[in-house]
Amino acid sequence: MNEFVEQFLIECHELIEQATDDLLTLEGRPDDAERLDGAFRAFHTLKGAAGIVDFAAMARALHAAEDALSAVRTGREAVTQDLIGDCLACLDQVVQWLDSMQSDGEIPPDAEAAADGIVQRFSRIPAPAIPEVSPKVGWADALMARHPQAQALVALRYAPDAEAFLRGEDPLARLAGVPDLLAVEIEGVDAWPSLEALDPFSCHLVFLALSASSAQGVRAALGSAGDQVQVLPVNPKGPSRASRLSAEAEGLLEAQLRLLDHGEAEGLAGRIGSAGRVVGNLLRHAGRAEEVGVVDRAVAASQSARTTGALVEVVHRLLSGQPPAAREPVEANAAEPSSTGGTARTLRVDVERIDALVNLTGELLVAKNALGHAVGQAQSGMDVAALATLLKDQHAVLQRLVDELQRSVLNVRVLQMRYVFQRFPRLVREMVLSLGKPAHLVTEGDETEADKVVVESLFEPLLHLLRNALDHGVESPAVRMAAGKPAAATIVLRARRSNDNVIVEVEDDGAGVDVARVRAVASERAVVPLETLEAMSDPEVLDLIFAPGFSTAAQVTQMSGRGVGMDAVRTAVERLGGRVVMESRAGAGATVRLTLPFAIMMSRVLTVEAGGQLFGIPLEAVLETVRMPRSEIRPVGAARAFVLRNRTMPLIDLADALGDTPGPTSADPVNVVVALAGGRLGGLEVDRLGERLDVMLKPMEGLLAGMRGIAGTTLLGDGRVLLVLDLQELLR
Amino acid sequence: MTLRIGGDDAVELIGDCPSEDAEALLRHLCAHPDARVDWRRCESAHTAVVQVLFAGRVRPRGPPASQFLSTYVDPLLMRAGVA
Repeated sequence: MNEFVEQFLIECHELIEQATDDLLTLEGRPDDAERLDGAFRAFHTLKGAAGIVDFAAMARALHAAEDALSAVRTGREAVTQDLIGDCLACLDQVVQWLDSMQSDGEIPPDAEAAADGIVQRFSRIPAPAIPEVSPKVGWADALMARHPQAQALVALRYAPDAEAFLRGEDPLARLAGVPDLLAVEIEGVDAWPSLEALDPFSCHLVFLALSASSAQGVRAALGSAGDQVQVLPVNPKGPSRASRLSAEAEGLLEAQLRLLDHGEAEGLAGRIGSAGRVVGNLLRHAGRAEEVGVVDRAVAASQSARTTGALVEVVHRLLSGQPPAAREPVEANAAEPSSTGGTARTLRVDVERIDALVNLTGELLVAKNALGHAVGQAQSGMDVAALATLLKDQHAVLQRLVDELQRSVLNVRVLQMRYVFQRFPRLVREMVLSLGKPAHLVTEGDETEADKVVVESLFEPLLHLLRNALDHGVESPAVRMAAGKPAAATIVLRARRSNDNVIVEVEDDGAGVDVARVRAVASERAVVPLETLEAMSDPEVLDLIFAPGFSTAAQVTQMSGRGVGMDAVRTAVERLGGRVVMESRAGAGATVRLTLPFAIMMSRVLTVEAGGQLFGIPLEAVLETVRMPRSEIRPVGAARAFVLRNRTMPLIDLADALGDTPGPTSADPVNVVVALAGGRLGGLEVDRLGERLDVMLKPMEGLLAGMRGIAGTTLLGDGRVLLVLDLQELLR
Repeated sequence: MTLRIGGDDAVELIGDCPSEDAEALLRHLCAHPDARVDWRRCESAHTAVVQVLFAGRVRPRGPPASQFLSTYVDPLLMRAGVA
């Protein structure tokens, strides 16, 4: 679907919700100018939105409703049940159109005819016969309650405007002409200002009256004052709820039945949803909002069963005047919302964060204008040195603002760890049951924030780590008791922020990792050559757990070790630009620590020059940079190595590795970048070290997507493309 | 004369009281807040006049001659005046 249309749909649904809310409140409180304005604005904005997507029929229908509301605002029309009903019907029609657009992105072909129907509703002469439904308007009910004996048929509220006297009108005389008058009241007299403050030439009185005459008779008597009068039919036996809906409402219900009966599977969900909304609005409009829940449940049941049955039954019951629910309409499990494992497509953002962006935009505008001034100065032949100073200042300002903007934008994209953490307690409980090892999960730092992508990508690696801890780390209860530990293990899932990183740890209080066994397994499976293995320190051996091929199908239990081992965790974490390490305390447990960037969009790179070209190295992989005399580099077979603090590590000539001709060998000391990637340590020989940059890394796309050794590209200030290296590939 | 002001500052509304009486009545009531008002001979009163009575929380001596005023308005004034 067109992005434009998508935005349109989201916006319209929000506006419809707001308009419905305002209309329903307005019906109960016809004097609520704020709600009236709110509804008017919502209709107006909806109309504008319809115009933007060229949906003329929708704009036409909304325009008719907007006109009617505008007449109420200027006092030409009163808020009546009919008017509210018409406006709600208009919204219902719009909802049906939107649902149709949601499914195919096209403007419904029959929209014009439906729009005609809506426009006609608003253009009709006020209906001669007002349907015999009890009014839900507050003042009329209250008036009836104060005059319980009055056998009134209509209640009227007459609010002459302030200029009535100046026009020579006498509202009381008009009221005296109303036939079969039963009671008269004057509203709010007690709250009047003092006599001195009264303007005798303007009318401040609002009259309420009951009459046994018909609505037409009352309107006729009040004559030209008609637009300042509301006349409502009342039930002489006092307000009671009609269990039957009005004829109009029944017509709409029947239309929903036809819609549901359509028979095609396509768009079924949309039809159920839209019919459910119409039925719900009808009930709300009839003052039966408490019954809407039944409709909602029926909609949910229909949606999950993919048949219209439940909803059709409710509609039939409403049409026959029965309460909508005869029995418990849906079984409890059908009502449980299905948990969606997908990624959250919309983001709820704190208003403060948006405000920060708005403020920054303002400051950026100022900076832009200042720059324009500098351009003017330059054009008018300003001295170069002074110009440079000026530009330098402007640059500093811009740099500050852009940094701040970037921070603010990244802040908008953050999610709390809670989003992913909250799914684990239940999963851990299931693992505990299936493995027979009692354990409980403790989560800490749920509120820690990180980029949306980081948080959402953490689910699988963390699930794997938790399984692994429980399966391999935690001992059986008997062993634990013998070791003096509580029978139930504790697994801590912890998140915290550390500068630009987010640290997530999975810590268990199990037996720890048996390094000797890791060595044995590694040599058995030839994960690394035997001689390398023998030279490795314990932490390095521990790191082999994450090496590809370490865990194999031979280890399969129900939980972990399905051939994809911890190397899957490392791959996932490194794809996010993070690192993973394991710490083990023999007999006391193990901790796997994921160090993740706070913001995935931004990477810090170190620029280096090799073979005359500029490259970027992800800063998180760089341990240190050293300069060493050439004499310290030893040839090892065909390769070269050097010793740094008693550790031997391979030295790779970056230009050579990237297929460039190595520069002429000179006697100068060598610049070496010591890097750690994929668990391997190595040195990269470069011609020159550059600067540290914050960049937005763009991954390789299209034909280049499969290119190895390059993590992505970014644009440099002078327009050159900087290739950022994937060190994991180079050090392999 | 539809608005007669007696020696003890009392006001009498007589016959048909048009809207012009409202201002005079208001001025008098402002000057003499305790003035008594009598509308027993009032056959009709413009809304503006009645409005002044309401604003001044006046309980006029009645009932007025007009059927409509005595049935619907006079009781309201008596109630409002008490409050």
